[in-house]
Amino acid sequence: MHQLQSHLQLRLTRKTEHKEGCERRALSWCETGYRGFQTSAACLKNRAARVRVGKGDRPVMYEEAHPPHFIAHRKGWLSQHTSNLDGEGGAAERTVEDVFVRKFIFGTFHGCLANEVVIKRRGNVLVVCAVFLQRLPPQKFYFLLGYSETLLSHFYKCPVKLEVQTLEGRVPYKYL
Amino acid sequence: MAAPGVHAGLQLFGSTRRLLHKLDKCAVFRSYTGSCALNQNATTALPAGSSEEIVLPRKKKWDKIAVLQALASTVNRDPTAAHYMFQDDPYLFPKTSAEFKLYSLSQESGRNTAKYIINTYPKYFQKDYAEPHIPCLMPEAFEPQINDISEDALNERIQLRQVKAAVDIFDQLIQGGTTVSLETTNKLLDLLCFYGDRDPVRDDQPEHKEADEVEAVQEDFQKRQKGRLRKASDLIGVVWRENNNAERIFNLMPEKNERSFCSLIRGMVKYGAYTKAFSMYADLLNNRMTADVHTFNALLAAAPNTREKYNEKWELIVETLNQMSEQKVQPNLLTFNAVLKSLRKCGSLARTQSLQTLNEMKALGIEPSLATFDHLLGIFYKAASSVRGPTDMIFEVLDEIEGKSFVARDPDDVYFFSNAMRVCLDLKDVELAYRLHQLLGEGENWKLLGDAFQQSVFYGRFFNLLCMMEHIDMVMKWYKDLIPSLYYPNSQGMMDLLQALDTDSRLDLIPQIWKDIKQLGHTNKADLVEEVLALMARDKQSPEVQASFADCSLAVKSVYEVGDRGRTALEWTASALGNITSLLLRAGRMQEAWGILQLFKANNRIPGEALLAEFLECAKERRDNDLAIDLVKLAASFSLTTTAKFASRVKEEFLLSEEQKKSLEELDVLSSDSSDSDSDSDSE
Repeated sequence: MHQLQSHLQLRLTRKTEHKEGCERRALSWCETGYRGFQTSAACLKNRAARVRVGKGDRPVMYEEAHPPHFIAHRKGWLSQHTSNLDGEGGAAERTVEDVFVRKFIFGTFHGCLANEVVIKRRGNVLVVCAVFLQRLPPQKFYFLLGYSETLLSHFYKCPVKLEVQTLEGRVPYKYL
Repeated sequence: MAAPGVHAGLQLFGSTRRLLHKLDKCAVFRSYTGSCALNQNATTALPAGSSEEIVLPRKKKWDKIAVLQALASTVNRDPTAAHYMFQDDPYLFPKTSAEFKLYSLSQESGRNTAKYIINTYPKYFQKDYAEPHIPCLMPEAFEPQINDISEDALNERIQLRQVKAAVDIFDQLIQGGTTVSLETTNKLLDLLCFYGDRDPVRDDQPEHKEADEVEAVQEDFQKRQKGRLRKASDLIGVVWRENNNAERIFNLMPEKNERSFCSLIRGMVKYGAYTKAFSMYADLLNNRMTADVHTFNALLAAAPNTREKYNEKWELIVETLNQMSEQKVQPNLLTFNAVLKSLRKCGSLARTQSLQTLNEMKALGIEPSLATFDHLLGIFYKAASSVRGPTDMIFEVLDEIEGKSFVARDPDDVYFFSNAMRVCLDLKDVELAYRLHQLLGEGENWKLLGDAFQQSVFYGRFFNLLCMMEHIDMVMKWYKDLIPSLYYPNSQGMMDLLQALDTDSRLDLIPQIWKDIKQLGHTNKADLVEEVLALMARDKQSPEVQASFADCSLAVKSVYEVGDRGRTALEWTASALGNITSLLLRAGRMQEAWGILQLFKANNRIPGEALLAEFLECAKERRDNDLAIDLVKLAASFSLTTTAKFASRVKEEFLLSEEQKKSLEELDVLSSDSSDSDSDSDSE
């Protein structure tokens, strides 16, 4: 009983340190079989789509640097379709298609994507807008473009068009 | 992007403070926070120095219909854009005709790869989202399903266009004793005659190696062909072999109907067995059957190849036509086009007969297509033509078709425009060419311009004519319009353009043209590069032009040096080096000119005397004695005969110091020694 109490006190003093986020320090092996509880206030920080500040040597692009509450203020949308309007269906299917298309483009044009792919749906047509780096000679780009357009069209049974821009290098917005 | 916005904002803030001081002088006050025109002015004024006057632009008065005019200008073809199949990006834009071909072919091969993958793994592409169903986006089945030997299996393989497999199954059926129905045998014959007894080449399959015997037959056949192009057999390289499967199966057939005969005749004509086709036709007549209109068209196309003399050819054609009318077969457009095409090979009697054929066409009410007019032009304007006599056919043809929109009704329609432009070029008539170009804009006529090769031929001839006949301003206007969006000129085209510039004395445009030559990839054509240099160096020009020429000549010089990535350089020639040197001299760049002179020795070329004289003149203007002496030394090292003259000139015209005079003496002695020995040897 005595031992338990002294353990508890030790634990309490250590727990007064604040920890970031919902991460709690894992119980170390000597404290298994021992119950503790949080005594400081819980700080449930948002971590979605944010790049945390680091040493200042990591270049970060405009798209990545802005957290999601800046959408419609400083950022646009990466995927444009009408399924999220009132009375329209198919939002989940569109999302799954988007994920597939993004992974496909990332893999096909390996190492060449400068930024996120923007996907727009106009009527029946799927327009994939991508910004690539000039890592490949143009004829290889055209080969991969013809290939992806045809493959995606046959996969989704709708016309798929790729609109491409090329850059010399990634443009960093700031360094974090 | 936010980052440049921040910097621009800071700039604006600083400049607006300065602006406030200036604005006191100006009577006009505008709200500087809102007016973007003013802010732009401010940012451009800033680098010039804050003490300069800022000139506010006057308010522009716009025409009432300015907006409509601006909108209208966007509707026409954009001359700066690439072909629509390419992406709109400077890195991905094809700059030469080789790049155009490469990028379009690589895109096409990407599509073929995708189709290969789709057809090899069809189970991933079966889910059908489309409503209504889109059949062309489903995977295609290339493997036949029915595998036993039966008529259905034969039908299926015919459907899938598998020639060899179909023939195998047919043989097995016959050997097994089952009779194959007439319908199916006819279909098999059609397949064989259409594909010439070979499997058709599929886009998405890797190429198979051809059998050796086929190649041997091909070479033999092509030697006999005398370079006639545009035949299916030439392009495919397939020949109607003796006793091939089609004939064999035909002979095996217990009963033959008209369709079998007709398919066989048409197949023979397609693959070059003309005399056999006529004998087969005789068989048909002997069996008291009538041929259909397509067979007659094929026979008419084959007729000139079976007889030698012109009048015999024509008689055969007339006989075939008579038989056609006896058998009560209605001719169609392709019949008349076939007659006209055969008339092209009939020499002198073609002209009158072709007009009669046209009359018949009109009597039957058949509208002529572009191929008809193409054949007419071919008959009336033969290539080596001046013997035949003048004709106004092209004018009449253009009068007839002006303002009309045509559709493709004959495969030969696509050759009309390039042939017509050839005629305009021969006649050197620019107005006619403009009318022809206007015709391209009507309706859907642009589709009849043909593939990229035909298009380049058409525009090449058009541009050639313009360079010859038109004023340079018009030429440059068309140049900007056509190149490079519609046409990549070859080196001959660029030479024509330089000729036109020379004729109208607009040589100051040469530096721009050189940039275009570099972009089009013609810098490896030695004669073109030398022509550019020669034109620049020929006459003395005004000072600014001279300066731009000097810069351009340095750019040209880089073509002769081995570039990065091991690009092969052109060989230096004496004239090229001389021209570059004189251009640099005239612009007053002595150092660089001296550097080029050293290159003469390095490349084993001898400079001309006029060049050295010019150099000496420049040295005299600058009173550069050392340079003069160096020049004389250089002349001596090349053992030029005029070294003595140079030396004496230098002595007289320059104020030399003692040692300089002595060194000249030495040189003089050396050269005079050599000249003495020369004269001694001559006199002996």
